[in-house]
Amino acid sequence: MTLTASNLESHGDDHFVDAEEDERSGKVDVEGRSPLRLAWARFRKDKLSMAALVVTTLFALMAISSPILKRLGVIDPYTPHQDLLDYATGNYPKGFGGGMSWSHPLGVEPGLGRDVLSRLMYGATLSLTIALSAALITVAIGTILGIIAGFTGGIVDSAVGRLIDLTLSFPATLMLLALSGVVVDRMTDLGVPAGATVNGLYIVIVLSAFGWPPIARLIRGQVLSIREREFVDAAILMGASRRRIYFKEILPNLWAPLLVYFTLLMPAYVSAEAALSYLGVGIKNPTPTLGNVLGGALEYAYTDFFFFFVPAAVIAAIVISFNLLGDGARDALDPKAGR
Amino acid sequence: MGTNRKRLVAAAASMVVAVSLAGCGGDSGDGSGPKGQTDQEVTEATKGGAVFSLETAVTQAWDPQRTYTGRDLSNQSRLVYRSLVDFPKGVTDNIEGQTPIPDLATDTGQSNEDATEWSFTLKDGPKWQDGKPVTCEDLKYGVSRTFATDVITGGPNYIIGYLDVPQDADGQPVYKGPYTGEGQDAFDQAVTCDGNTITYRFKKPWPDFPYAVAALRSFDPYRADQDKGDKSKLSVFSNGPYMLDEKGWNEDSGGTFVRNPEWDASEDTNRDANFDTITFEIGIETEVIIDRLIADEGNDKFAFTSRSVTPAQYPQITGDVEARAVNFESPFSNYLVPNFNRLTNLKVRQALAAATNRAAYVGALGGDKASAPSLSIVNPSTPGYVANPNFGKAEGGDVEGAKALLEESGETLPYPIKLTYPIGSDATDKAFAALKATYDEAGFDVTLDGLDPSGPYYEQIQKPGSDSDLIWGGWGSDWPSVSTVIPPLFDSRVNITKASNGQDYGNYASDEVNAAIDAAAAETDIDKANEMWSEVDNMLAEDVAYIPLDTTKFYFLHGSGLENYVNSAGTNGYTDLGVLSVVDGGK
Repeated sequence: MTLTASNLESHGDDHFVDAEEDERSGKVDVEGRSPLRLAWARFRKDKLSMAALVVTTLFALMAISSPILKRLGVIDPYTPHQDLLDYATGNYPKGFGGGMSWSHPLGVEPGLGRDVLSRLMYGATLSLTIALSAALITVAIGTILGIIAGFTGGIVDSAVGRLIDLTLSFPATLMLLALSGVVVDRMTDLGVPAGATVNGLYIVIVLSAFGWPPIARLIRGQVLSIREREFVDAAILMGASRRRIYFKEILPNLWAPLLVYFTLLMPAYVSAEAALSYLGVGIKNPTPTLGNVLGGALEYAYTDFFFFFVPAAVIAAIVISFNLLGDGARDALDPKAGR
Repeated sequence: MGTNRKRLVAAAASMVVAVSLAGCGGDSGDGSGPKGQTDQEVTEATKGGAVFSLETAVTQAWDPQRTYTGRDLSNQSRLVYRSLVDFPKGVTDNIEGQTPIPDLATDTGQSNEDATEWSFTLKDGPKWQDGKPVTCEDLKYGVSRTFATDVITGGPNYIIGYLDVPQDADGQPVYKGPYTGEGQDAFDQAVTCDGNTITYRFKKPWPDFPYAVAALRSFDPYRADQDKGDKSKLSVFSNGPYMLDEKGWNEDSGGTFVRNPEWDASEDTNRDANFDTITFEIGIETEVIIDRLIADEGNDKFAFTSRSVTPAQYPQITGDVEARAVNFESPFSNYLVPNFNRLTNLKVRQALAAATNRAAYVGALGGDKASAPSLSIVNPSTPGYVANPNFGKAEGGDVEGAKALLEESGETLPYPIKLTYPIGSDATDKAFAALKATYDEAGFDVTLDGLDPSGPYYEQIQKPGSDSDLIWGGWGSDWPSVSTVIPPLFDSRVNITKASNGQDYGNYASDEVNAAIDAAAAETDIDKANEMWSEVDNMLAEDVAYIPLDTTKFYFLHGSGLENYVNSAGTNGYTDLGVLSVVDGGK
């Protein structure tokens, strides 16, 4: 599984050939190409992955820009526009497509008349922030415990192994639902600002607390093979510290699986956040997230189709593009895995 | 707290279902006072057929002394439990429909001068389902059960505070109910039987006692030999036109009632008993109930519900479906209370009251069909209701006025407000987001604190040290009188203890208001009493002890096979089973 220079070499690749030619002709200095750069070259040739990367980047840019746009007053996820609604029908938006207009390109929501596009954009920021933080923490915990277990072995390894079994045996979703009230209250008592902050933090904590075991197992397996390698032995013989061995010798060889795992974790967490918001654990009224915008729209599936369809399509687009990106990254980083 | 249950129902009715208005009839409360809710009328009916009640919430109790939800109180009265007096069947007019008429008793009761003593004489003829006559002893046993507050829970236990039974050192009645028999002598003096005449003696005047008898089931007779204490919670021993079939009541799925052969139609004119059987199907999601009623197939043709159509389903209520829908104001009102431990500045409270955007709130709940803005904590269906002039226009949301008041208050702006409300549907969340938008515009900085009404919500707001600034409340009166609205919500003496503020969520305590409440409660002339109550309401409004929000509307749908579907005033606006019938008797 691990990518090293040696097994990349055996895999013929014209960029590689070009490089060798350049080297021979002495046009350029010898340039070390890291496995990641080689993988990027492969990735670029996959059109689907590139499309996924573009879409993902667009969503990321949207997520980054919407708080700024909100401050500038370009998007406004909170102001009701009840004048755009028809009282006689039970406050459905007037006009085509759930009240679509130039000032409200994706329409307004029934009942309150808040702008759907603004809520989606601002919601995407929060949802992606939650997913990103949770994915980073998950990967960090999993990696650290995986390296420690794999490298140290013995009693530490079995301790971590049992901890993994224990964590996996918890019904995570149930715990998340059951504990939310108590833990959120406790966190508020400890000074975390109430409202969106504390609920968002709770989701991040629980998702990462229950999400790390698979990645720890994966990393442990990788480390078991890496620690038998000569450069590790060399480092040990030279008296390198544990820390150096973990982070300078072993970790650089783990970037590939970590990157793949991370890109696949993102969409999983985006949908987890959506599901939790729908179940009422997530960030609450009136702060929008992709999950609670969709949750509020579900019951309108028959009667205000666009209002339901738009957030559903956005979540689907985010999840699909992240998944394709993850797949592309795996193919590029591990060409032997095949499709 | 005694009145919890009815309060919870109010919350459930308005928040969780949060929907409704009159498809037929469609009067959208102009605030002119009590009137008929719909134009439904009772026509000639054919006996026979089976009807079905589709419900979401499980029935808490079939034990009359433990029942406190509006729907169940009404259903029990029409099906299985008769009372001394009852509200008339099939009447939608709020005054006539909520005036007691004799049922088991020969008249509506005789009281002494100051209404501290009431007597009723039993008719000859009413029988239990085993053929034995209903006696004065059964009536006395029924109310005695309420004193067993450790067994008979969930009902309106506060009525034991009225009966003239001495209190022990803890302020509890010395009588502990029929199961222990402790203090029986004291109870035997408070409630006496003389042949067929039962007499109740009270500590304080109770001029509208017959209303309480008709509205609640606490004073219904109960047969001592059928009483298994807590185990009787879901069993039924009937003296009405129907009885539970041999399968009994299933807590999760419901049950079926069949005709009671011992019931005599010629003697009981308060119940038409048209259908042969009624089946309760419980635990169905509201959306599913409404979808089934829209489809109108099979047994659902004979079905009805107490769940309102949800706003998302409004567009489906058209054409012949609309003909099967009714939309009208329910007896449940909603309001906000400022927390007097925190919002001590009158100008700030006045600014909140001015900025409360009732139009936006109602719009977010689903508009005209879901609710109507209100200007008093008293429901418009209650005799004695007056739109309180202190609260300005019905739509509310006076941003400029609120800004001016906030400026006069001298507080630093934006003024932070934590608004605590019970979460329910998506519409609820939107409604509070709508309130927040206008408050913020006026100079407040509102944090919405939505809590689960099944526990955390009441824990938070009933804590005397709560950090909520503004709190949602919902209320339906126990019987149609202001005396069951203002005292249980604002009399600090019955509400505030060290551990809890009871129903007085805003920790409001005013000696003048308490004194005015006592005076109004003791007034035996109903019209004069209503005037005094409206004066108390004005005192509360001047202090901004509460801010009125809306009156929940019911939006009910029923199957095409039903006739005489009437939402009587006397059945809390729910389907009146005393007149309901099946087209051609189901043949």
